Amino acid sequence: MKLSRRNMIVGFIAGAVLPALIPLLAKIPGAGRLKRFLRPPGAKSEKEFKSLCIGCAQCANVCPNNCIEMQGFEDGADNFLLPMIIARSKACILCMACTQVCPTDALTPMPATKEGMRAVAMGKAVLSPDLCYSYHGRTCGACYRSCPLPGEAMTIGLFEKPTIHEDKCVGCGLCEQSCIHMPQAIRIIPAHEIESKELRHGKA
Amino acid sequence: MSNRLRGWHLMFASVITRLCVLIIIILLASWSIYLNYKVGYNNARLVELADGKLVATFYRMSDWFFSCFGDPVAAMQSNGGMTWSIRLFGVQITDPIAATSVFLNNGQLAFGFFIGALIPLSLALLFGRVFCSYICPASLLFFTIGRLRRLLGRFFYFPELPMNRFFAWGVLCGGVVLALVTTHGIWALILPYFAVGQTIFHAITFGVMHVAVFSILFFIVVDFALGYQFTCRHICPTGRLLGVIGAKPLVSIRRDASACIDDCHSCEQVCTFMVSPKKDETRDCSLCGECMSVCPASCLSVGTKKAIDVSSSGIVVNTDVASEV
Repeated sequence: MKLSRRNMIVGFIAGAVLPALIPLLAKIPGAGRLKRFLRPPGAKSEKEFKSLCIGCAQCANVCPNNCIEMQGFEDGADNFLLPMIIARSKACILCMACTQVCPTDALTPMPATKEGMRAVAMGKAVLSPDLCYSYHGRTCGACYRSCPLPGEAMTIGLFEKPTIHEDKCVGCGLCEQSCIHMPQAIRIIPAHEIESKELRHGKA
Repeated sequence: MSNRLRGWHLMFASVITRLCVLIIIILLASWSIYLNYKVGYNNARLVELADGKLVATFYRMSDWFFSCFGDPVAAMQSNGGMTWSIRLFGVQITDPIAATSVFLNNGQLAFGFFIGALIPLSLALLFGRVFCSYICPASLLFFTIGRLRRLLGRFFYFPELPMNRFFAWGVLCGGVVLALVTTHGIWALILPYFAVGQTIFHAITFGVMHVAVFSILFFIVVDFALGYQFTCRHICPTGRLLGVIGAKPLVSIRRDASACIDDCHSCEQVCTFMVSPKKDETRDCSLCGECMSVCPASCLSVGTKKAIDVSSSGIVVNTDVASEV
């Protein structure tokens, strides 16, 4: 085939347009957009995380708890193939294995110690006392017993009433997973949600 | 040993190595399941009670196999990933496209990640496009489709669309722009080998079908409808990049012009990458050895280019005739 300039340009443009059709896949109607998912521990700010994560799934591969899932198109093309954790179905056990294997440092390497756990910022737990059994005279305390930082991130009072200390909570989601009330009385607000809210209200 | 036999050996080796890569990807994905069971139960009997006999058998076999590598979590930390970004025995290997994409988006590269990209690049500089016929698991699929096309070509007509190299450059640029707008994960739908890796990983580890299946189906249709290894030649941006980086590799296919038959074009006709060893082309040659296996004069061999220049210095006339034909 002759390589005229016209052929070159036409070929180049045709090639460049072809990938642009892919985001249309996200327009296919289906499941709604999921907002409350956590990023694995050690994730940087959402924007930086997205610019670094290459979707190689090594974090999901190494996770011994199998809690890291890769996102699909249902969460939009801008979340495609990023790792996420749904705390209610399976929460992070803060073993930090995923942070050790990330090739691009989208997840900052962290040690699997108490100090490493305290440095994690996946989100903040929020309690709804209206739903909590302990606030209605039925002592439960399941969330406190699952907390990896008991006494720091969460303290417990009379009738096992939990209190969350927001500044110490790392947002691993174990309390949300273990809550025996349906729907859960304790939820994690993901770090990227807090981040975008702060941006909207001009706090950050 | 004749060069024809060497060609067959190369072809055989290329299929075997690609199969090995495929098996490694499957192993790494199933290793993940084994890790979950090991951490969760650590006992074949408990696994059997929880998930049945089949899974317990899988657990026993993996326990036997993976325990050779030591502590499961520690071993998983030095082995993992897929052809896009893989760690084998602690060595990080990165796709050049991944490095480019991250660099353009973020402006900086993690050191280990960057070093990992040098391995495939130096491989390309030394041997040319060997990634395509010795490592890429997707090209095994397209290789098979190429054989099927050739086999069925006796009965049916398969078109061969003329195309130029700039289409793949366009796909590369479009993909980079798309990765900037969305995420780097979008390459899983553009790069065939990444699509194969993600499909296998999702099927085994999560038990779900990944979107990349549709992209693989698209490539299969394109390969049947538009040309021999059309995806490898004209869509895959990695192939194009490695083809240019390895346009003049240290070790490549070389022709003994004195032995070459002027009217014979079997090497050009058989090459699925549309490279012509007859015209001493080396760009896009992936050393698959198919031309060597069909050459009736046994004049093609693999080696450094310089050696053949010395030996065929007196036969300049012959190459001129060949290029006119």
